[in-house]
Amino acid sequence: MASPGTIQPPAIELTDVRVRLGELAVLRGVTLTVPTGQLVALIGPNGSGKTTLLRALLGLQAIEGGEIRLWGEALSPRMLKRVGYVPQRLQLDRGFALSVREFLALKLEATRNWLWQTNRHTDQQLRGNLAELGVEALFDRPIAGLSGGQLQRVLIAFSLLSQPELLLLDEPTAGVDTPGEQSFYELISTIHRQRKITIVLVSHDLSMVHRHASWVYALNGVICCEGTPTEVMNAESLKQAYGIHVSPYHHHHHGNTIHVH
Amino acid sequence: MFTEAYMLRALAVALMLGPLCGLLGVFVTARRLAFFSDTVAHSALAGVAIGVWLGLTDPTLPMVGVSLGVALLLLWLKEKTALLTDTLLALLLSTSVAFGVVVFRLQKGYRADLERYLFGDILSVSPTEVWVTAIIAIVVAAALFSRFNALTLLTAHEELAHVSGVRVRALNIGFVLALTVVVALSIRLVGIVLVTSLLVVPAATARNLSHTLRRQLLLSVTAGLASAAFGVGISYPLNLPCGPAIVLACATLFVGSVAVRQITGFHRREKREAGGSW
Repeated sequence: MASPGTIQPPAIELTDVRVRLGELAVLRGVTLTVPTGQLVALIGPNGSGKTTLLRALLGLQAIEGGEIRLWGEALSPRMLKRVGYVPQRLQLDRGFALSVREFLALKLEATRNWLWQTNRHTDQQLRGNLAELGVEALFDRPIAGLSGGQLQRVLIAFSLLSQPELLLLDEPTAGVDTPGEQSFYELISTIHRQRKITIVLVSHDLSMVHRHASWVYALNGVICCEGTPTEVMNAESLKQAYGIHVSPYHHHHHGNTIHVH
Repeated sequence: MFTEAYMLRALAVALMLGPLCGLLGVFVTARRLAFFSDTVAHSALAGVAIGVWLGLTDPTLPMVGVSLGVALLLLWLKEKTALLTDTLLALLLSTSVAFGVVVFRLQKGYRADLERYLFGDILSVSPTEVWVTAIIAIVVAAALFSRFNALTLLTAHEELAHVSGVRVRALNIGFVLALTVVVALSIRLVGIVLVTSLLVVPAATARNLSHTLRRQLLLSVTAGLASAAFGVGISYPLNLPCGPAIVLACATLFVGSVAVRQITGFHRREKREAGGSW
């Protein structure tokens, strides 16, 4: 992927990355480059290795071979400090009464003593960092009771508190309704524009990817194809990635919509 | 009644372990470790049996040792096998109880000792045990508060905790070991059969009335403290066994929390908020 005028090293460089889970070779030599400042989407069918790739990038999955570099340096806890991660959902259930304020306070150095501080003090610290996200109205709500869309906003707010330079999102709209999905992707675009950070989005939602990503990688064990959304979202490329016929068409209300047959 | 030295010792131990279990219980319930606590408690029976068999007057050391061994064995089996945690816990619980009962049975007068540990015998706590409990309670509480944010994040999402710089594996092992030691110590208070309730019931009571972690912690610690004090307090005049009295006090508070939740409309507010969308 060309990036004219960029003097910074690429945010992510994967060279021939191979991962095996038991007998199964999930990643069979993935090579890709994500230049700094891009909004890149990673698409592919179930079991294509998208989440495994993300886990490898986060140092959660050991790789069998190849190399992962972030900003030109080997993956390390120091480099991970510059990375924000947005998971699909949280593990906690209703047995844990964690409020949104308390959850967000876990991330900031200035609020690490939140348990002993007043809510007012914690709110002041959080507000300054989360202006555009509009999560303030949720501060008092228990996190286990949030809707899918609300939780995603809170998770993004959490990851942005440490001012990351790279944001990794794993299927962020799983469990979010369609209007919520749309506003969610608009939020991602705004964050990308305003904060000028690199974003890698793992997604099933080809329509939204088409509308918001600047570059797309289609994965199915290896990178099947890459290019601008328009280049990748054609029947032939998608067939390569998904192994079935996928046809993009234009909907007069919703813009480009991708249909999988 | 608290002029008797043994009653004072019992009260001191109860007032340390009650709130400590309340504190740990918030994480035990959220991380679904109730069955784990039950397993390490039951495995302590094997430790007690070994202690009695070795002729020790105080089997605390083998009791804590075997519980820790079982906790570490569980962590190892989880990493080395594909079996579910539930399955491993059931295996370890039944095996250690069977081993403990067989070793007890091979000795004379086993029944009295067995009952002491099954249902607790806080009135026989020695001055040394009071000090040991105090030191362990302070160390565990200090460790818990020093790693409080990391532990909360770990409870919310393990991978998110990892990316945020938490040493997940070390913290998981540390928490499990601290929990094991507290469970083993609490056996003197309420017994093997009832010890899990001391961890679960105050935390559940607090959750019924809390929207925030801060409040749940405060209420859980208070419920643990109040139940321990009340249980020891009424056991003497009413000639009741101390451990079950403490657990019944915990259960009474829980029933009260359900009633308050219904009367104040707390549950309706919670449902309404959970149903709201963005």
